[in-house]
Amino acid sequence: MLEDELNVSIRQREGVSIIDLMGDVTTFAEEKINDAYRQVTEQGARTVLLNFRQNDYINSAGIAILIGIVTEVNRNNQKLAVSGLSQHFQKIFRMVGLAQYAEIYQDEDEAFQAFKSALAES
Amino acid sequence: MKTTYHSASMELSIPSELGYEIIARDAVAVFALRLGFSPERVEDLKTALSEACINAIEHGNLLTPGLRVHIACIYDHERLIIQIHDQGLKRYACTTTPLTTAEKIAGLGSMRGMGLLLIEQLMDEAGFLPDAQDGNCFRFTLYR
Repeated sequence: MLEDELNVSIRQREGVSIIDLMGDVTTFAEEKINDAYRQVTEQGARTVLLNFRQNDYINSAGIAILIGIVTEVNRNNQKLAVSGLSQHFQKIFRMVGLAQYAEIYQDEDEAFQAFKSALAES
Repeated sequence: MKTTYHSASMELSIPSELGYEIIARDAVAVFALRLGFSPERVEDLKTALSEACINAIEHGNLLTPGLRVHIACIYDHERLIIQIHDQGLKRYACTTTPLTTAEKIAGLGSMRGMGLLLIEQLMDEAGFLPDAQDGNCFRFTLYR
């Protein structure tokens, strides 16, 4: 009855696969997030950016889904980054250890500046 | 004119259905803000409250339609105490150390099970009341 609506969409920017997540990330989000990740992987994604937008609610079930994505990213030798989280959820991601597996950026533009700097240094 | 509360309390009762924890969370957040807790601490409280309600709904009441989760909020000037009481189809007080994210990624256990860890890290005090009657009672406290 009270299932939350999460809008998930995928797009490409400068060779990076972006998964936009708008809404609540809870147990109800599993299929949508996993489908989006599967799609970008089938398209050959090497770097995946999870771009959170207006996410007022990410609970432990949502974090579990993201840990599952990290597992797949490691298995597929991809790189994972995260942007757009509120200060609170940045803290939560660090608290549970997700920040060890995904760089956290304030927003999409900051993420791309970092990607470009890393590319220039390599 | 700003109202000063020296003591205050509030009680809520929600069905054992995922999604209702968001309504409880929002109500308790407004209560805490009115009591003068900072927005940052209220964000911590929102996460803790949601996780405690989810545990009560999923693990205490086993997602059983018709059962309720009772939430009591008691403020005594220096601290806000929250008690989450389910109807206890199952005792679920966690006695083992939860797996770390690294262990979960390594496939050593379920991806779930981080709720209690989050509550304990975000709140000043947290734990099950051992002598709770008719169900599990989880209590956590936020100090000023």
